[in-house]
Amino acid sequence: MNLRVSAGPHLLAKDSTRTLMIDVLIALVPTTAAGIYLFGLRAAWVLSVAIVSAVISEYVWQRLMKRPVRVGDFSAVVTGLILGLNLPSTIALWVPAIGSAIAIILIKELFGGIGHNFMNPAMFARAFLMASWPARMIQFALPERLLGASQAAVGVDTMASATPLLMPGNWTTYDMLLGNIPGTIGEVSKVAILIGFVYLLFVGTISWEIPTIFVGTTALLSWLLGADPLIAVLSGGVLFGAVFMATDYATGPIYFPGKVIFAIGCGAMVVIIRQYGNYPEGVTFAILLMNCVTPLLDRFTVRRVYGTVKKHA
Amino acid sequence: MRKFTFGGGIHPLSDMHEGKAETRGREVIAFAPDQVVIPMDMHLGAPSVPTVAKGDTVLLGQVIATPTGARGIPVHASVSGTVSDVGMRQLVGRAPSMCVVIDNDHRDEWVKLTPLGTVETAPADQIIPAIQQAGICGLGGACFPTHAKMTIPEGKVVDTLIINGAECETFLTADFRLMLETPDRVVQGTRLAMRGMNVPRAIIAIEDNKPEAIDTMREAIKGQSGIELAVMKTKYPQGGEKYLISSLLKREVPSGGLPLDAHVVVLNVGTAAVISDAILDGKPLTTRIVTVTGAVKTPSNLRVRIGTSIQDAVAFCGGYTEPPARIFFGGSMSGIAVPDDTMPITKANNGVVALTEKQAVLYEESPCIRCGRCVRACPARLNPFQLKAVLDVNDDLVEAERLHIAECCVCGACSYVCPARRTLSSTIKAARDVIAARRMAR
Repeated sequence: MNLRVSAGPHLLAKDSTRTLMIDVLIALVPTTAAGIYLFGLRAAWVLSVAIVSAVISEYVWQRLMKRPVRVGDFSAVVTGLILGLNLPSTIALWVPAIGSAIAIILIKELFGGIGHNFMNPAMFARAFLMASWPARMIQFALPERLLGASQAAVGVDTMASATPLLMPGNWTTYDMLLGNIPGTIGEVSKVAILIGFVYLLFVGTISWEIPTIFVGTTALLSWLLGADPLIAVLSGGVLFGAVFMATDYATGPIYFPGKVIFAIGCGAMVVIIRQYGNYPEGVTFAILLMNCVTPLLDRFTVRRVYGTVKKHA
Repeated sequence: MRKFTFGGGIHPLSDMHEGKAETRGREVIAFAPDQVVIPMDMHLGAPSVPTVAKGDTVLLGQVIATPTGARGIPVHASVSGTVSDVGMRQLVGRAPSMCVVIDNDHRDEWVKLTPLGTVETAPADQIIPAIQQAGICGLGGACFPTHAKMTIPEGKVVDTLIINGAECETFLTADFRLMLETPDRVVQGTRLAMRGMNVPRAIIAIEDNKPEAIDTMREAIKGQSGIELAVMKTKYPQGGEKYLISSLLKREVPSGGLPLDAHVVVLNVGTAAVISDAILDGKPLTTRIVTVTGAVKTPSNLRVRIGTSIQDAVAFCGGYTEPPARIFFGGSMSGIAVPDDTMPITKANNGVVALTEKQAVLYEESPCIRCGRCVRACPARLNPFQLKAVLDVNDDLVEAERLHIAECCVCGACSYVCPARRTLSSTIKAARDVIAARRMAR
C-alpha cells in the first residue's frame, strides 16, 4: 500500500490564486465590454497591448532572474487589464506597453513578486505615465456609440474639477451611469463596474468594506464641501478605483479597523486633491498614498489574540 | 433560539455536507476483529507498562498494562484470547510504541470492575478513581486522561462542565450516532462527572447541523436539574475546547492555561458515555465508536475493539472502492495521515477516512498573495501568513513568540482556506512545538 502521508488538512478549499485572479477577470468582463462598446475597437487594442506587455514582462523577468515562472496564476493579466482600463482609448499604443512593463517589473517583481508589492502596480504605472506624458493621458475620446461623435478627441479634463457637467454636452446622471461620458476605458460605465462589484462580493473575492466606505466618504465629504456628491462619485474614477484597485490584496490592510481607516483615507484624499490640489487626478494618488500607509495600519490594528491580555502601547 | 458561536472559523467541505452524508444515517454496528494491537501510549502522558507476556491468556477487560505516574491510566484487553506478542511497533507517533497483540478467541469472557451503584448512589469520592481504573481518556481526539482532567487542583474553582457534542470535524458522525442511539448514557455520564467533580452546572453543546441529536438529547435531559443543552452554530472548529468555552460562556482560556483556569472542564460526549459504562456497569474502556468512510464500499459507524486495525475495519465495511491514496484518522481538517492500513484504531481515533487517488491531491505551495483569508479564518485571531513569513524567511522563533504562536491550536483552518496552498498550520505547529520543547528544557 502506497499512501501519501503529510500534515492536515487533507482536503482544501477549491479557491486557488489562479481562480481568484480569474474571478477578478470575470468581474471585469462587463467593464471591458462596455469600454470596447463605448470607445470602439481602439479600446480593445489598448487593453490587449497592456495585457500582453504585462504577461511578457513577467515571463521574461522571471526567466532572467531564474525564478519560477508564475504567469499561469493570471495575476499579470489582471494587472495589465486594469492598467489598460485606466487609460484613455486614444492613447498611443506604446504607452500601455511601457506602463505594464513598469507595473510588473518595477513595482511587482523588484519588490519580491506577487503579494510583496507595496503599491498597486497598475495604479503606480498610471501615476508614472501621468507624470511622464500628461498630455497624452488626458486626451479622452467621447464615447462614439451613444453620442455618435466618432473619434472626436477633446481635451476633457474630467478629473480636474470632478464636474464633467460643466463641460459641453451636459451629461445627465443616466449618461454617467451608463458610461456616456468622456473618461478612461474602464471608469466610465458605472453600471458595468457595479455588476463586477456584486460578482466579486458574491464569490467572496473581496469584502464590502473598502469599496463602500471609500465611495461613501467621497460622496459625504464632497457634499460637505459644497460639491454635488452624485457627480463626485459618478464622474471620475472613484468607483473603478474603489472596486478594483483599492481592494488589491497586497497593498491594502488586513484587519477590519485598518480597512475602514484605509477606505476613509482614500475617499478623503480624493476629495482633498480634487478640491484643493491642482493635479488633474484624485483617485490614483489617493490610493497610492494609502497603499503606503497600509503597513502602519496593519501594525496598529492587530487583533487581541485569544487568551492574551491587550498590551497598552 | 439563541445559537452560540465564536469569531473566525470556516465551513469546510460545505459543498459535500462536510463529508458526513454517507454515514449520518448509519446505525452503530459492533465489530470484533481476529486480532488487536493495543498500544501502551494511547493517552497523553507517560506510557503504561505491560503486565502480560507472550503466550498469556487474557480475558476481555483484563488489565494488561499498569499506569505510570499519577496521570497514567491502565490499559485493558479489548478481546479475550491469547497474547501473541508484546513489543515495539512503529505507529503514527514519532517514536515506536510498545504494543500488546492479542489473538481474539471470540468468546468475550469478561472481567469487570465493581460497579459503584446508580447515578445517584455511586459514592462521589470514588467516581474519579474508578474512571482512572477504567482506563478512560478523552475520546474526542486528544486522549487526555479523564481522571486527571476531572481532578480539580487546590485553589481552582470549576463552575461548569461542558459536554462536547459539537463534532465539527469533517466526515465524523460517531458522536452524532452516539447521542442519537444512547442519549441516556451520555446524560448519566454527565451526571456522574458532575457529582465526581462537585460541579453544579453542565452544558451539552451540539452544532445545529445535527437537529435529530439536539431533539434526542433535549428529551433525555428533561427533568435533569443543572444540565442544559446549547445549540451551536455549525462552524469549524466549534468543538475546539477553547472556542467552545468562549462560544458558550464568553470566557477565554488564558494564554498558557487550561480550561480549568476559565473555571471549566470539557468532556467529549463519547467520554461521558464510557464514564457511565465504567461506573454503572463496571466496564473498562475496551471499545469506541469510529466512523469508517470515504473510499470504502459501505461507509459505516462501527463500535470497534480498541486495537482493531484499519484494514480489518475497512474489510468489515466491504473493503475499499478503489486503492486508497491517503488514509487518515479523524476528519480531514485535523486528522492524522497513516503510512499504511495496518495501523490500529486507538482510544483517540474517532474516524478512519480513505481518499482516492483523485481526492488525495498533493498541492504545490505558491507565494502568499496577502488575501487575508487565513486571518479571517483563525479562531485564535492570529495572523497565520505573518507567522509563516517570519518562520520561513528567518526561522525567527522570538518574533513568532511575540506574535503569540503558542495560541495556535492547529485546527488547520488557515491552511484549508489558503488559495496559495501554503502549509500554514503545519509550519506553525512545527515551530510551536520547538518553542514548547525548548521551554520544557529550560
